Amino acid sequence: MINFKKVTKIFYPKTVALKDLSMQIQPKEFVSIVGQSGAGKSTLIRVLTAEDKPDSGRVIVGGWDITDIKQSQVPILRRQIGVVYQDFKLLPKKTVFENVAFALEVCGISSRIIKNVIPQVLKIVGLKDKLDRYPHQLSGGEIQRAAIARALVHRPKILLADEPTGNLDSLNTKDIIDLLLKINEFGTTVMLVTHNKDVVNRIKKRVVLIDQGQIISDQEEGKYVL
Amino acid sequence: MLTSTFRVIKFAFQDFFRNFWLSFVTLTILILALFSINLLIVFSAVTREAITSIENKININIYFKPEIGEDQVQNVQKYLLGLDQVKDVQYVSKDQALESFKAKHQDNPKILESLAQIDNNPLGASLTIKAKSTAGYPIILADLKDPQYDNMIESKDFDDHKLVIDRIMGITSKVTTGVAAVALIFTLISILIIFNTIRMAIYTHREEINAMKLVGATNWFVRAPYLLQGIIFSVLALIITLIIFYPLLGFIQPYLGMILESKFNIVTYFNQNFAYIFGLELLAAIAINLISSYLAVNRYVKV
Repeated sequence: MINFKKVTKIFYPKTVALKDLSMQIQPKEFVSIVGQSGAGKSTLIRVLTAEDKPDSGRVIVGGWDITDIKQSQVPILRRQIGVVYQDFKLLPKKTVFENVAFALEVCGISSRIIKNVIPQVLKIVGLKDKLDRYPHQLSGGEIQRAAIARALVHRPKILLADEPTGNLDSLNTKDIIDLLLKINEFGTTVMLVTHNKDVVNRIKKRVVLIDQGQIISDQEEGKYVL
Repeated sequence: MLTSTFRVIKFAFQDFFRNFWLSFVTLTILILALFSINLLIVFSAVTREAITSIENKININIYFKPEIGEDQVQNVQKYLLGLDQVKDVQYVSKDQALESFKAKHQDNPKILESLAQIDNNPLGASLTIKAKSTAGYPIILADLKDPQYDNMIESKDFDDHKLVIDRIMGITSKVTTGVAAVALIFTLISILIIFNTIRMAIYTHREEINAMKLVGATNWFVRAPYLLQGIIFSVLALIITLIIFYPLLGFIQPYLGMILESKFNIVTYFNQNFAYIFGLELLAAIAINLISSYLAVNRYVKV
């Protein structure tokens, strides 16, 4: 599903974010990418969403080599990947419904379909009663769930979560991780980037440890040991 | 395509109303910019009218020798009316000149007594010449230096007024240049203010634009609502400016009439030039809004 082949990314002038990194993620896998701050974890997400371009190597997503992707094709790529961010990135002047609907509207989906689909997705994330709320009217956990709903609504095969629990308390963190696990059970490949060892150790899934842009360890049912 | 277009329109209006205070402030600044441009137009029109009013008061009187006949004077009048620089030439006959002279000096018995002692009318006919502009007078006078005319002329009163006319020409020329320079500066300032206002408004949306791009929106899907908003702002700003401006014009018109002592009506001036003035303002406002929106959004869609 996702294939990194000797990917290197250097930020000007000398910061090596990724160094000859090679990794494969299979369909329906749940992978936790762990490491300290500055290890290169978020750069992996940025490369997968074409926010950054690798300086060498290849990146293949669902059979599509996106290494040299054209600017005009970037929106198409992003519509096929769901991404959840630490800072949520919800549109503050749109309701929960409208935020989630936006992900379908950019694809040109009709309003009729949107009206049918959104309530179902919001039910999955536990926000069906909060359709008309604005982000500032929600708790941190609810906002993140709305962001997950937006990431899921167009049924992506891949869900990337970049420190999704970074701004949440432990209770909300548990809820979000449980939701991600549930999504994975439905068949979506999940790549969770986190530096929270408790989260990683609880879920007992594949763990890839990155340090200074390189993979240090890659274990099925691994643990994150500092 | 149609669905996307409707969505763009929906997003534009949604954003306008949901960011009401930002929209209000942006609109206010646009209105102030348009208002100041229109005030400048008023100032320019009034100045031009004042200059014309002064110029209309200037004329030259040509006094012919007493022995020159009416036919000859009227031939000169015909010739002058054929000149490009001449607006009007009024003929004053010898008899009219005499009556006018007596009326002018009616309180001076000595002059009237001296006049009574002369058998003949000592005064000649005269022509009062109005030029289309003050710059025309020297040309007219140069023409009249031709011996066939010069030999008939007793005197001209231009030389007496020459200094005043030269000064007026100098002042009006400087005022015209000054008004044009002020207009240009004001227009540039207004353009910069509008440009910056729109850029700042879009700056407050930078994180939203970022989020929209990351969710998979194309540049145009992100940009189009802001461009449309720019058009909405321009149209609304112009309408509100007109609503405020016209009553103000009606209020100041009586005072203008008193100052200028002419039939100039500033409301009529704007009505007659409505399509030109406000059409141009609308197009300019839309153009500036579109350009500034495009450039501002462009900074943040590069994700």
